[in-house]
Amino acid sequence: MSEILVYALHDDEGTFNNNSLGAISEASKLAAEIGGEATVLVVGDIDDAACAALGKYGAAKVYRAKSVPEGLAQPIVDAMAKVMTDNDISYALFGGGLLGFEIGAGLTARLNAGVTMEVTAVKADGDKLIAERPVLQDSAIVDVGYVGSPGIIIGRLNAFDVAENGSGDATVEDVEVELSEWSTRATMVTRGETGDEGVANIEDADILVGGGRGLGGKENFELAEQLAASMGGAVAATRAVVDAGWYPYATQIGQTGKTVAPKLYLAVGISGAIQHKVGMMSSENIVAINKDQNAPIFEFCDLGIVGDLHKIMPKLTEAIKAKKG
Amino acid sequence: MAVAPAEFPPPFDPSRHIGAPTDPEDERLEVGVAIVGGGPAGLACAVRLTQLLENEPELAEQLGEVPVAVLEKGKVCGAHNLSGANVRPSALQELFPGEGPEDWPVYQTVEDDAVYLLTKKRALPLVPMPPNFRNHGNYTMSVAKLSRFLAERAEEAGVYLLTETTADKLLVEDRIVRGVRSGDKGRDREGNQLGNFEPGSDLMAKATVLAEGTLGHLTNCALDYYDLHGSQPQRWELGVKEIWEVPKPLTKVIHTMGWPLRKAAKHNEFGGSFIYPMGEDKLCIGMVIGLDYTDATVSCHDILQQFKTHPFVRDLLEGGKRVGWGAKTIPSGGYYAMPKHLAVPGMMIAGDAATMLNVPELKGIHYAMHAGIYAAEAIVESLKADPESVDFSGYEEKVRKSIIEKDMFKSRNMRQPFEKGFFVGGAIASAMTLTQGNFPGGQWDQEDDAEHAMVLGSASQDYPKPDGELTFDKLGSVFLSGNATRDDAPNHVRIQTHVPIEIAQTWVSMCPAQVYEIPEAQLENGAANVDVQVTASNCVQCGAITAKGGRLTMPEGGDGPLYQET
Repeated sequence: MSEILVYALHDDEGTFNNNSLGAISEASKLAAEIGGEATVLVVGDIDDAACAALGKYGAAKVYRAKSVPEGLAQPIVDAMAKVMTDNDISYALFGGGLLGFEIGAGLTARLNAGVTMEVTAVKADGDKLIAERPVLQDSAIVDVGYVGSPGIIIGRLNAFDVAENGSGDATVEDVEVELSEWSTRATMVTRGETGDEGVANIEDADILVGGGRGLGGKENFELAEQLAASMGGAVAATRAVVDAGWYPYATQIGQTGKTVAPKLYLAVGISGAIQHKVGMMSSENIVAINKDQNAPIFEFCDLGIVGDLHKIMPKLTEAIKAKKG
Repeated sequence: MAVAPAEFPPPFDPSRHIGAPTDPEDERLEVGVAIVGGGPAGLACAVRLTQLLENEPELAEQLGEVPVAVLEKGKVCGAHNLSGANVRPSALQELFPGEGPEDWPVYQTVEDDAVYLLTKKRALPLVPMPPNFRNHGNYTMSVAKLSRFLAERAEEAGVYLLTETTADKLLVEDRIVRGVRSGDKGRDREGNQLGNFEPGSDLMAKATVLAEGTLGHLTNCALDYYDLHGSQPQRWELGVKEIWEVPKPLTKVIHTMGWPLRKAAKHNEFGGSFIYPMGEDKLCIGMVIGLDYTDATVSCHDILQQFKTHPFVRDLLEGGKRVGWGAKTIPSGGYYAMPKHLAVPGMMIAGDAATMLNVPELKGIHYAMHAGIYAAEAIVESLKADPESVDFSGYEEKVRKSIIEKDMFKSRNMRQPFEKGFFVGGAIASAMTLTQGNFPGGQWDQEDDAEHAMVLGSASQDYPKPDGELTFDKLGSVFLSGNATRDDAPNHVRIQTHVPIEIAQTWVSMCPAQVYEIPEAQLENGAANVDVQVTASNCVQCGAITAKGGRLTMPEGGDGPLYQET
């Protein structure tokens, strides 16, 4: 049977990562098309109920490796390799993120598998999967199929949407994994967010307010923060703004920053240079406020507002607050 | 107010880039020949060296484990190379006897060419064609591809290619060049060491060849240190080039003069365009302008955009798509600006670094390759006679007897008359061509590009608004150059950052990669002196800033553009 294994990353509180949940939803959808099941690997001491609840996202079965530590790549490669080999699983799907890249690469080497990275979409072809991958600075997309088995698919960050398309609980099976010699040579000391205190993780946010040089100064980022707060979103920035020291690097979006794909991207004072565009163009809805009606961003936003953002933003914040009561 | 960039010299200390090795002796890397620059000159030199060493096993042995090393600052050889280019095949034929265009990265042999004089609406063919534009029998190539090809051949022959490696310091002891020091990697913008910091190394060599190309970093330092400047100041032109995929093939090589450049002598706008076919489905289109212009608002990038809106040009690009972009300066000082000597003890200078470029014929690649070949031959002859020799003056003799010297001499005064305006200059230059440079003869003076006083003129008024299809903005162009330099890299551009608006605007407009910006508030309030903000990570290392009052130093190895087909 053509099964797909997803590795579900969790934090120290046991909360699963959004990219992992997205990958489970995607795997469940794809598994239905190729006549298989979506399975999940969880490491560490996660209780039965939390594992079973992954069924909500479409997981049929959860393999739990209690003794394997979370956060380091090699122990998880050991666990995934064992689960895939023992159960004859055809594909591994990763939701993106640095750890996913590292594990995916390690697993590929371990299983002598085929791998596709930076995947933005996956489709079914009979009982096989085809990965779509942008190339040449995202100017073209290639289809990558797998001639052998297993196939490793590593998604780009936020490539797969979280969808609660499952019903019932997943079955939970504990697996014993013998760690390789090299997997125990490093231990996790602490895990935590990098970057500046108080800066939200923009890659996980559903709503982002992106601020550009049009904001006019560091102090005006407060307007963006208030607007973001009113919608429960986070604030991101362009390179020029980060360069000028108005906002921290951890929030930079674009060619040399992060790639995001929130449900709503509200661009304020951003002209929309291609270097920025490549970092946010897969956002579901793009709204732009800019005083220059010729700004390139108006060519690829869904809704454009030509006007003074210093007047519009506070009013928008008020209106949203009023509507939310 | 009119003020010249030269009045605001960059904060730059050349003595930091020439000096004795600093690594402990047992940590220095020993190579036979160190070649700085993996372009046509450096790689032709490397290939020729391996060919010659094959017959000289004893010498090869003496050169050690790494007989030939090439340092290239780009991600790959060719990453920073950009040219027209219609190449005369003589050097390729000499380097690879028995091979032909089918073995080389050649798009086609030129069979037909034409020159047009453009007015705002019309394109008037110049018949008969000025003879210097004749390209019949030359090969249309991409120098970015040519360098990749030569690098492949060099690597096959055992040359060590050190890509993503800059040569930051010329190692000199007792005025003898002993090698180069590579640049550090992994510093942040303030110069602090990052986690991945890697210090440079002293590379000791029996012979060093500077083949850095236009505006070479070490070449410029060496010209000062050894007092090698030519009898006339160097000068440059800036070229901006695009590659287009087009539905209908272009059948001939095209050059244009005139519009959108202004003809009056006061603007001093010397230049023109080129449009070359690249096989059936592609063409390249470029604009070149002399950097001795005087209007601070002149932007070669935007003049090219404007040029594409001419009906004659628009028609050629109809239904096409821009797929590549780049910019580079061209050393156009000619014969009298060439270094006084091409060799000093331990070192030689070859190619564009040594101004080996024939401006009226728009040719330089084959000179660069011939020079590289001569350098290789001189090194082998000299070291064979005495393994400790540092005398490579044989290289200079070979160049002086070659077509490089001959062609450069013929066109020695051809660029200068254009300061008298397009028509007068054109007439004098034609007379020079016909008489092989004998009429009017003598030595015509020329001025440093940075010494021309700049005024805020009106050139920028006619630049089109980018539409994203035919015309583009600078940031979109930089993106297409493949430049993804990390944002916190140290700033490698040296300029004074508080200058008169005329100077600041000159840099802002000139730079095709949007490295320089003036704060909007200062533009709006009409300040006489303004700040210049530098976004160094945009830089495509064209070199124009060095020509016009600043100084480009070495960025981190691997930074800058990744040209594919320019």
